[in-house]
Amino acid sequence: MPYFESRLRLNVQNFEEIKNKFVICEKLGIKNVIVEPDGNFKNLGVELREKISSLTKMHIYYRISLRPRNVDDLKNKLSTNKKLPTILSIETPIKEIQIQAAKDSRVDVISFADPKTMKTLTPGVISLSKQNNSFIEISLSSMMVVNKAQQSKNFRELYRIIHLVNSLKGNLLISGNFEDSYHLRHPRALISICHTLLGLSILEAKKAFDENVKKLIERVYDRYDTNFIEYGIKFIKEGE
Amino acid sequence: MNIVRNERNRYILFKIINEGFISIEHSDILKSIWKSIWRFFGMKEANKIGLWVIEIDLENEYGIIRCAHQTKEIIITALSFITEINGNKIILSPVKTSGTIKSIKNYMISKKNLN
Repeated sequence: MPYFESRLRLNVQNFEEIKNKFVICEKLGIKNVIVEPDGNFKNLGVELREKISSLTKMHIYYRISLRPRNVDDLKNKLSTNKKLPTILSIETPIKEIQIQAAKDSRVDVISFADPKTMKTLTPGVISLSKQNNSFIEISLSSMMVVNKAQQSKNFRELYRIIHLVNSLKGNLLISGNFEDSYHLRHPRALISICHTLLGLSILEAKKAFDENVKKLIERVYDRYDTNFIEYGIKFIKEGE
Repeated sequence: MNIVRNERNRYILFKIINEGFISIEHSDILKSIWKSIWRFFGMKEANKIGLWVIEIDLENEYGIIRCAHQTKEIIITALSFITEINGNKIILSPVKTSGTIKSIKNYMISKKNLN
């Protein structure tokens, strides 16, 4: 089954590092990856995309993460028109921004990658994102820390947030988001971790790495379709 | 009368990914797996595992281990948490699990032929 690594951060200033990351991903057997170029997202044009795609045989999708300072800043950043299909995620510990992002249909993912940010997730944000068919993302990178005490705290936070999203039937997305290339793992291995240590059933975990990611990509491509009106509503041309 | 088998075996094929040439023994890998099992699962799960190293080929970068079928996910998790052995960065990435060693070997042959 084609699982997804939903977040692979790339330093676009260093193509050698990107190449190394892709080589490890290919060795691991990862087939689909969503990459997030660090830095200025406005540069995420055709040229850069082609350059990144030429480095690997994997299916590559693109995302950008916005870290707005306040609600107005969020609105300003969202109004910048993006011409190419890009997954848009918001990462912030400020609740007002999270709520605004969950209400906005242009936001695809509300990310809770950092353990400090995870603490700020409320049932209201999950409920709003569910209504809007957007996704709540958590990242497993925090579980790779060496310090045992910190690691157990991070596990506790991951456990709490996963079960909160699950109990409210939110759209959960789980990503690796590993900084070090030797921390990268195949999504199937991450599914086992979610099952054994975080108490998710295998089916639920698989959904977060496969089905939900596919839905997210479909949602993004629909938005760039000129016939698309709203989620579930689309113009159909005669004969289609 | 059917024989009810309570415990079946699972064979796990894993890939060894490392930074170039590193000198590690088979025992180092086994020790790391046990260390990882103890760290994340403790005695409660460790006594159910029945871990056995079938083969470790550092040259061709793969290994095969055997465990009880109920503890397959635990072993995959334990393998995933190993990030270094003797100070060398390493990834032990599970590739395939099977109930028989024969199908693992067949899988390896088919993969080799594909490459």
